[in-house]
Amino acid sequence: MNTPIAPASAPPPCLLDPGYALTLRPMRYPQFYDMYRAAIRNTWTVEEVDFSGDVNDLRQKMSPAERHLIERLVAFFATGDSIVSNNLVLNLYRHLNAPEARMYLSRQLYEEALHVQFYLTLLDTYLPDPAARQAAFAAVDNIPSIAHKAAFCCKWIDSVRQLDALDTPQKRRRFLLNQIGFAACIEGLFFFAAFAYVYFLRARGLLHGLAAGTNWVFRDESCHMAFAFAAIEVVRAEQPELFDAGLEAQVRAMLAEAIDCEAEFARDVLAGGIAGLSPAQMRQYLEYVADQRLRQLGYAPQYGAGNPFPFMELQDMQELANFFERRVSAYQVGVSGELRFDSSF
Amino acid sequence: MQLQDTQAAAASAAAAPAFSLTPPHAPAGMRVTKRNGTREAVDLNKIVRAVTRAAEGLHAVEPLPVALKTIGGLYDGATTRELDELSIRTAAALTAEEPEYGLLAARLLAQVIAKEVRGQDLQSYSQATARGAQAGLINARVRDFVAAHARKLDDAIDDGASRRFEYFGLRTLYDRYLLRHPQSRLVLETPQYFFMRIACALGGGEIGETLQLYRTLAALDYLPSSPTLFNAGTCHEQMSSCYLLDSPGDSLQAIYARYGDVAMLSKFAGGIGLSYTRIRARGSLIRGTNGKSNGVVPWLKTLDASVAAVNQGGKRKGACCVYLEPWHADIEDFLELRDNTGDPARRTYNLNLANWIPDLFMRRVEQDAAWTLFDPKDVPGLPDLWGDDFERAYQAAEARGTGLRRIPARALYTRMLKTLAETGNGWFTFKDRSNATCNQAARSGNVVHLSNLCTEILEVGSEDETAVCNLASINLAGHVTDEGIDFDKLAATVRQAVRQLDRVIDLNYYPIEGARRSNARWRPVGLGVMGLQDVFFRLRLPFDGPEALALSTRVAEEMYFHALDTSCALAEQHGAHAAFADTRAAQGVLQFDHWPEARPHDAERWEALRARIRRHGLRNSLLIAIAPTATIASIAGCCECIEPQVSNLFKRETLSGDFLVVNRHLVEELKRLGLWTTELREAIKRAEGSIQGIEAIPEPLRRVYRTVWELPQKALIDLAAARGAWIDQSQSLNLFMATPNLGALSSMYMYAWKKGLKTTYYLRSRPATRIAQTTVAGAPVQAAACSLENPGHCEACQ
Repeated sequence: MNTPIAPASAPPPCLLDPGYALTLRPMRYPQFYDMYRAAIRNTWTVEEVDFSGDVNDLRQKMSPAERHLIERLVAFFATGDSIVSNNLVLNLYRHLNAPEARMYLSRQLYEEALHVQFYLTLLDTYLPDPAARQAAFAAVDNIPSIAHKAAFCCKWIDSVRQLDALDTPQKRRRFLLNQIGFAACIEGLFFFAAFAYVYFLRARGLLHGLAAGTNWVFRDESCHMAFAFAAIEVVRAEQPELFDAGLEAQVRAMLAEAIDCEAEFARDVLAGGIAGLSPAQMRQYLEYVADQRLRQLGYAPQYGAGNPFPFMELQDMQELANFFERRVSAYQVGVSGELRFDSSF
Repeated sequence: MQLQDTQAAAASAAAAPAFSLTPPHAPAGMRVTKRNGTREAVDLNKIVRAVTRAAEGLHAVEPLPVALKTIGGLYDGATTRELDELSIRTAAALTAEEPEYGLLAARLLAQVIAKEVRGQDLQSYSQATARGAQAGLINARVRDFVAAHARKLDDAIDDGASRRFEYFGLRTLYDRYLLRHPQSRLVLETPQYFFMRIACALGGGEIGETLQLYRTLAALDYLPSSPTLFNAGTCHEQMSSCYLLDSPGDSLQAIYARYGDVAMLSKFAGGIGLSYTRIRARGSLIRGTNGKSNGVVPWLKTLDASVAAVNQGGKRKGACCVYLEPWHADIEDFLELRDNTGDPARRTYNLNLANWIPDLFMRRVEQDAAWTLFDPKDVPGLPDLWGDDFERAYQAAEARGTGLRRIPARALYTRMLKTLAETGNGWFTFKDRSNATCNQAARSGNVVHLSNLCTEILEVGSEDETAVCNLASINLAGHVTDEGIDFDKLAATVRQAVRQLDRVIDLNYYPIEGARRSNARWRPVGLGVMGLQDVFFRLRLPFDGPEALALSTRVAEEMYFHALDTSCALAEQHGAHAAFADTRAAQGVLQFDHWPEARPHDAERWEALRARIRRHGLRNSLLIAIAPTATIASIAGCCECIEPQVSNLFKRETLSGDFLVVNRHLVEELKRLGLWTTELREAIKRAEGSIQGIEAIPEPLRRVYRTVWELPQKALIDLAAARGAWIDQSQSLNLFMATPNLGALSSMYMYAWKKGLKTTYYLRSRPATRIAQTTVAGAPVQAAACSLENPGHCEACQ
C-alpha cells in the first residue's frame, strides 16, 4: 500500500515528529484522508433543524425539574464545543504532523464551529430573555458543576500548551495524555453524558429540534473520537514504548476524575427529580462508557458496569423516520459515478 | 472564557447568583405521591403484583426485573402517574431482548388509558359519546345514532381486543388519535371506543354494518387513513388524505389564492400535491410593471413558510409536495430547493419536490439528445397536453425557437438524480403513463396534472377542480394462514372497505369548494394494503422470488376485481358517478388492458364484470391506490404497505418519541431453532439489524430475512410493475440504495420508466458516517469493509 520509502539507515518518520509535513503522495495515513472525505459527505446545516415544536414542549409539556435539566444542559453546550476547538487549534493541529491528519482536523474545526452555531441558535430559541442568555454563557464561571468540568478541560489544554516540539518521549506522553483526555473524557464521556439527557427526553417524544440537531452533532463527535483513537493507534504502532505503565495509570486516574466531575454535574442537573433518570444510574452509565473507552485504548476495563439506559440502545439502531413527522437525517452529500443504463441495482 | 481563569472562577462559584429553577434537595427513602396528594412508601411487591396481572399468558416475561428497574429510575416524591409511565417504558425497553415485553408494555398502557377514561366517570361507550358531544367534539349524527343504539353498541365493545396491540401502535393511538377533552386534555375514549366511533360514523347509519365494521377494525384487519381516524364522527369530518391542486394560473391573485387553499386543506390534516408548472420563469417580462419575474423560487419560499405555520392542530405537521415539469426553465433552481448549502432565501425544507416527466424527456435522455427549456408564458398549452399531442406541441415550439435554453437531456437527468441521492426528494413521476392509464382521462381536456404528496394518487383536475381522495388500507397480515392468503376473507374485507370509502365521499367536509365539486363528479377512492412483507415472512417467501411476485400480483388482482364489483353493485343501487360517461370504463377498458403482460387469473369472471360495468356503470371512477401507511401500519403492528422490511431491528422515530422495533417473525423462527441468545442479539445489533453475516442461521432463513438494503431493487420494481396492472391509481414506491451512485441510479430509474411504472417515491439512502454504537461491546469503529463482489459500493477503494 502506501508505505513511505525511507533510507534503511534513518528511522521511519512518526506522526508525532515535530514539523509541518506537506507531502500527500505517497500518503502515509490514507485512513485519515478517508475520514476527511466521509465527514464531508455528511454535511448538515443549522438551518435544516426545525425548532418549531421545542418552545411549546418547554412551556407546556415539561415540568420545572425537566426545564431545570434543559437549562443546565444548554449552559454546558454553550461553551463545550468552543473549548474543544481551542484545544484542536492550540495543541492537536500543531503536533499531529501529517497533512492528511491536518485535513481531517480542519474539517473537525469547521464541525465544532457548526456545533457552536447550533447550540447558540438553540440557546437563543430556548431563552428569550437576554439576561438568561448571558447567564447561560456565564455558567462556565458561575455554576460550580459546569465550572468544574471546564476546569478539567482547561487543565489538560494547559498541560501541553507550552510545548513547542514533541522532541522527547516524555513530551510525547504528555501530548498523548492531552489527546486521550479530549477523546476519551471530554468528547467520549462529557458529551456522551450530555447526549444521554437529550436522548432520554427524545425517547419520551420531547424537544425534537434539540434531538435532531444532537443526532447530527453526535454523528460528528463519534467521528472525531474515531479519528483521535485512530491517531493514537498509529502512534502506538510507531512507538509502542510510549505506552508504558505510567501512561496507563495516568489515563485511569484522568478517567476517574472525569467521572467524578460528570457525576457532580448529574446531581445538579437531576436535582429536581426526574423519573427514569437518577444520579446513581448516570454514574453507572459513566462507568460503563469509561470501560468502553479503556477497551478502545487497549486497556482492561475497570468498572465492570452494565448499561443502565435502554434509551441509549435506541440510538444505536437504524432510524426510520416517519416523514410526516420528522425530517429524515440520513441523506448523504455528494454522489459520484457516471451515467449508465446497464448497471445492476 | 479565559483559559487561565477557570479554576479561580470555579473556586468563587459558590457565592455567585444561581442560574437555577429548582433548588437541589436531599434524597431520602423513596415515596410516591398519590393522586389525592398523600405520600406513601414505594412498595416493590405491589408493583410486582401489578406487572404479574398484566403479564397473564406472556410466558417469557419476568415481572420482578421490570419492577426493580422501574424503582431504580424513580426519585423521591414521584407521582403514581410517573410510576405508571416509568413501568411502561421500562417494559418497552426490554422489547429488543424479548418481544413479549412489548405486549406487556402495551397492556400496562391500556390499563392507564382505561383508568383515565373511567376516572372521568365514563363507564360505557355511549356515555363517552354523550360526553364528547357535550364537549363539542362529536357531531349530532353520531350522537343520535349512538343514543338510539346504546345497548347494542355498549354490548359489542370488546375490551379484550386491545390485547392485539403492540406497544408502539397503542402509544401512537394514545398520544395522537384518541379524542381528548378540549380543556382537561384527558382522553375521552379507550382504543375500543375509538374504533366504535369510526364504525358508527361510517357504518351508514345501519347497526348491522356498523358492528361488522367495528369488528374488522378491532381485529386490526383494516384501517382507514389517518385523517379519517382523526376526524370521523367529529364536528369537522374532513376525512380525505389527499388533495391535488393544479398549478395556479400565472397571476398574483391566483398565486395568493392557492396559498389560502393550501392553508385551509392543511388545517384539516390533508396532504397536498401542488403543481407550479404554469408559473412564469425567471427573467420573464411582467407587463403590468415592466419588470422581470424572479421565477418560481420566491413564491415557493412563501409557500414553505405557510406550510410550516399550519400544523394540523398539533396532530401532525402540514405537508405539501410541489410538482414541476422538467421543461420549465426554472427546473434547475427547483432541484436545488432542498440542498443543504447555498442561499437560505432559495431553500424550502418544508416542501417536498417531484418531477412530472413526459416520455419525450426520457427518450431524449436515452438518445443523448438535447432538451429545450421554456418559459410557460411562451407555451401556455403544454401543461394540459400529454402523449402525442404534447410531443407535437413541444417540438413545434422548439422549431419556432421559443425555447429559452437548450441543454443536453442527460445533463438535466444527472441533476435530477443527484437531487434524489442527496436529498431523497425530487421524485420521478411519469406524466404520459399516468394519463394514458387513468380511467378519468378518456376525454381530451380531462388531464392528470400531477400526483399527490405520496405519489399514489392520480386524478384529473384543473384550475377550478381540485382532485380529492380518501384512503384506507387492508392489513394483509390479518388475511394469511400457514396455507397462504385467505382470498374469501380478503374479498369480504374489500367489499366492506369500498362501501365505507364510498360513504366518506358524501359525509366528508370539504375545506374548499373546488374539491367538493370534483369529488361529486368522480367519486374516487383509494384502497391499499399493508403488511405484504409480513405475509412473505409467514410463508417464508424471499421478497425477490417468483412465488412472492405471483402472490403479490394475485392479491392486487383480487382486490381490484372485488373493488370494481362492489362499486358496480353500488352504482346499480345509487346510480353511477356523474362523470362515468367520460371514463375509459364506460368504453369497457379496465386498468389491466393498459398492461400487455398482465394475465387475468380467471378471464371469464372479468368479462362478465366488464359487461355489468357497461350496463350499470361504476359508483367510483377510481378504486385502488397503495399509500405509504406510515402511521396506520404502526397502529396495526405490521410492515408498511408493499415495502420490504428496513431492518430486523430498528429504532422508530415519531412524535410520540423513539421506539425500538424488533422483527418478531424472526425472533419466533430463531426461538424455534434455539438460536435466540444474547450473543446472537448482539451480533444482529452490531450488524445494524442484518443477519446476512450470521453463519449460525440457516441460509434459506437468511434469504427470507434480508433487509431492503440487501435486496436487489430490480425486484421491487418488478413486483410493482406486475401489481400495477391491477392498480387504477398508483403506488408509493420507495427505492433504496445504501450508497447511491449515478450509474446504478440512472439505470434504475430508466428501468422503472420502461416497465411502465406511473410514479416512484423517495430514494432512501444511508448516512456516510455513523454514530458510535455506545451499547454494543466491541462495536466496529470503521463501517466500510472492502468487498470484491461489490466494488461499486466500496468506499475504501475509491
